[in-house]
Amino acid sequence: MNAIHTHNLTFGYKNRPVLHGVSLSVAGGEMLAILGPNGSGKTTLLKIFSGVLRGQGELKIKGKNIESYSRRELSQFFAVVQQEARVNFPYSAAEIVLMARASYHSPLTLENRHDLEVARTSMDLTDSLAFADRYLHELSGGEKQRVMIARALAQEPEILLLDEPSAFLDLRHQIQMFELLSRLNRERRLTIVAALHDLNLAALFFPRLVMLCNGRIHRDGAPGEVLTEKTIQDVYGIRVRIEHDSATKKPQLFIRPSVS
Amino acid sequence: MICRSRFFASRFFLGTLIFVFGLASSGNAASESIPRRIVSLAPSITETVFALGFGNRLVGVTSHCNYPAEAKRLPKIGDFMSPSLEVIAAKQPDLVIGVTGATDPARAREIERLGIKITLVSVSSVSEILSSFKHIAALLGDPDAGATLVEKITAQFGKVKRRIAPAPRRSTLLAVGLRPLVAVGGKNFLDELITLAGGENIAGNASQPWLNLPDEYVVAKAPQVIIQAGMGSDASRPTRQWSDLKSIPAVKERRVYTYNSDKILRPGPRIGEGLEEIARLIHPECFNVGKSRGARGSRCEGSGS
Amino acid sequence: MKVLDRKKLFLVNSILLALLVLSAAACTLLGPVRLDLSQALTHLFSSNPDAEILLRARLPRVLLGVAIGGGMAACGVVLQALLGNPLACPQMLGVSGGASLGGILGIIFFPNWLLPIASGRLGEISWIPLAAFFGALLSMILVYRFSLFHGRLHPYHLLLSGVILNSFIAAVIMFLNSIVDFYQAQGLLFWLMGSLSTRAYLTVGFIWLYILVGFLWLWSKGVSLNLITLGEDAAMYLGVEPGALQRQVFIASSLMIGAMVSVSGMIGFVGLMVPHVMRLLIGSDHRLLLPASFLAGGIFLCWADTFARILLAPAELPVGIVTAFFGGPFFLFLLYREGRRSLGL
Repeated sequence: MNAIHTHNLTFGYKNRPVLHGVSLSVAGGEMLAILGPNGSGKTTLLKIFSGVLRGQGELKIKGKNIESYSRRELSQFFAVVQQEARVNFPYSAAEIVLMARASYHSPLTLENRHDLEVARTSMDLTDSLAFADRYLHELSGGEKQRVMIARALAQEPEILLLDEPSAFLDLRHQIQMFELLSRLNRERRLTIVAALHDLNLAALFFPRLVMLCNGRIHRDGAPGEVLTEKTIQDVYGIRVRIEHDSATKKPQLFIRPSVS
Repeated sequence: MICRSRFFASRFFLGTLIFVFGLASSGNAASESIPRRIVSLAPSITETVFALGFGNRLVGVTSHCNYPAEAKRLPKIGDFMSPSLEVIAAKQPDLVIGVTGATDPARAREIERLGIKITLVSVSSVSEILSSFKHIAALLGDPDAGATLVEKITAQFGKVKRRIAPAPRRSTLLAVGLRPLVAVGGKNFLDELITLAGGENIAGNASQPWLNLPDEYVVAKAPQVIIQAGMGSDASRPTRQWSDLKSIPAVKERRVYTYNSDKILRPGPRIGEGLEEIARLIHPECFNVGKSRGARGSRCEGSGS
Repeated sequence: MKVLDRKKLFLVNSILLALLVLSAAACTLLGPVRLDLSQALTHLFSSNPDAEILLRARLPRVLLGVAIGGGMAACGVVLQALLGNPLACPQMLGVSGGASLGGILGIIFFPNWLLPIASGRLGEISWIPLAAFFGALLSMILVYRFSLFHGRLHPYHLLLSGVILNSFIAAVIMFLNSIVDFYQAQGLLFWLMGSLSTRAYLTVGFIWLYILVGFLWLWSKGVSLNLITLGEDAAMYLGVEPGALQRQVFIASSLMIGAMVSVSGMIGFVGLMVPHVMRLLIGSDHRLLLPASFLAGGIFLCWADTFARILLAPAELPVGIVTAFFGGPFFLFLLYREGRRSLGL
């Protein structure tokens, strides 16, 4: 039984088609990155996976049709980290993370000690415990992002979706985050699907890459298969040089700008 | 020489002709300064103009002007609160009369700017109302009519005053709205009428002419008479509105009255009649017809509290 | 990690409840006329003036003030969550406009009609609140229909349709104001500006029941309200169905607001200011914010009504003016302080 399985998924807005016949299977415990230029449908695909948008075609989560789950049920094993967190109300980072525990207790009870423990651990993992009691809107973009990831982890998910999670993080925190994700994937068999724009980091940390182009899957496979000079030329329209790093054995991109 | 004197004679004759002619026409101009086409901006003004005998000069009245009956047939220039400038101008009035405090001052200025003569009279006290009669009568060219009207009303006042003289004063609440309770306050001609009618306005010490009264105030002031004016409906059981406040003397003794006509509410020529109506409600025992009078002296002395 | 726990919940609410009871007692004893308490208590149920002032003139309106202050504040809290904006207030939905218009039509066309029930002891009940509530229902249905898309009530559409409806209603009210006679216009104005004047225990009791039930239901949605402030998508990820929550909360708060405005006219500022002040004092967790705002709203309106009765005695100021007059500057001050803090000054 696959964690996520979709067949012939199609989606579009009124006069703008976005996804055409996407078929994809993600096994439990897999870690894959979705790549592609702007407008290729990365975010849309993630939104359909997480149940925000509804496409035509088959979509099964843990073997069952996604619509057979209630939101509450889904939130107990399925967590999402959005691209941008915008909170209009003054909540502290700890309060935000603790909200992840909502589907674990009745609406009429407060969080218990276990909930607090999970929240604390999650924040510790993402190195955000230091500003637990500060207001979210006072934090920098990167700090906010780490809190959001902590919140997703506090849901104790089996499947984790991330939409450009490294967007606001500095290099150190980006590496830290990907290393954390790898560790969680190894230790807890956490299924991870992330939409990324940084091809090099994707190649380094994700064993499977799915390259989207114009709403279709262009390539799907190991970094060595997907990250080729021809693929980059076809999808992004730019010339690059690919070299395999001797230490990591992963392909890395070298950019050749047209003006040199 | 004869030719020359003839020249001068003809010139002199012509000049005299012109002079006499001019005199005559200036006399016409003097009579033209009396307004012949009047627009009224308030029901009380309409009543006043009719009472002074100049009803036939009215060319426009408000939609609220319903007395006398002829006023209802007159052309309407809009309502009391916002009369229509164009309709007023189209009537080509010589004089527009409004009421300070009720007529919108901005509207009045606009009328003035159109070159139309407008005057606002103040009616916030009985003496001002009586003065307004004289003022309007003078404007309309017949000061005597004003004096006559004032005399008539003064006589009416005197008659009421004599009727109720022996009776003790009764504290009174005169309400023009119930939910919310809007009462007559001080600096209001109705406050004076209450006093003249042998009553004592429980809200008379207020500086506002109309005010929203909290219930506790009415209970504390314990009025002996409650008059609910100008509100229409449920005249059959006015006491029911107050049935849970039995400590109020007016409620206990069933002296709660509903008065539907606007006779007593208009600051115009019917205030004499209005005064009598109010006095009848405050001191009904002084107006009972057929009760024996001779034996016990004046009929309303010492009767009730 | 400082988050909401049982102790804080209990402590804050207990303090506020105690303050509320004290305020209600004080406001019953205070007023423009002197109350002889011993007289009132010895003759409590007879037709004694002091007893009547205490029991029939003051107590009902204090109780009403507590209920409406609490109800307005609670609705303000949930509307701010629903619209995703900490500066939203109950007036924005258009329901209060509809209730005002219904009430005005009631005042114009049947001002003194009374319900043929419960006279005497429980006070007379007029038709006007019913007319107003009918207006509120109509507005609610209108705004709901215009804002519902695919089962969701989008904040943008809610706000827009509420504002448009309010403008339209304001125009109609102005028109009505211009065609009534002078004395009716006075009454209309006083109604519009809000008043807690009532002697009808039946009405007060009914409103209390209504608001209490509504408030308790809203309080039970505390967690979901927390989640919806994170955005519709985030709320979904965390297990809330936004459409259902939005619809239910909209209807519940609209019904509450409609009932309140029907009875007392439009009393502004409470629903905007009290939630915001409480948020600054105790945080944004709705499980505490709702009950705290409810209690604080009751305290605030209670005192505002007392000032309304006393300030210009014997006249009674519309309570909406008092809430704006005292609430406005205080709110501005808080906003200024908060602004400085968030800029790190």
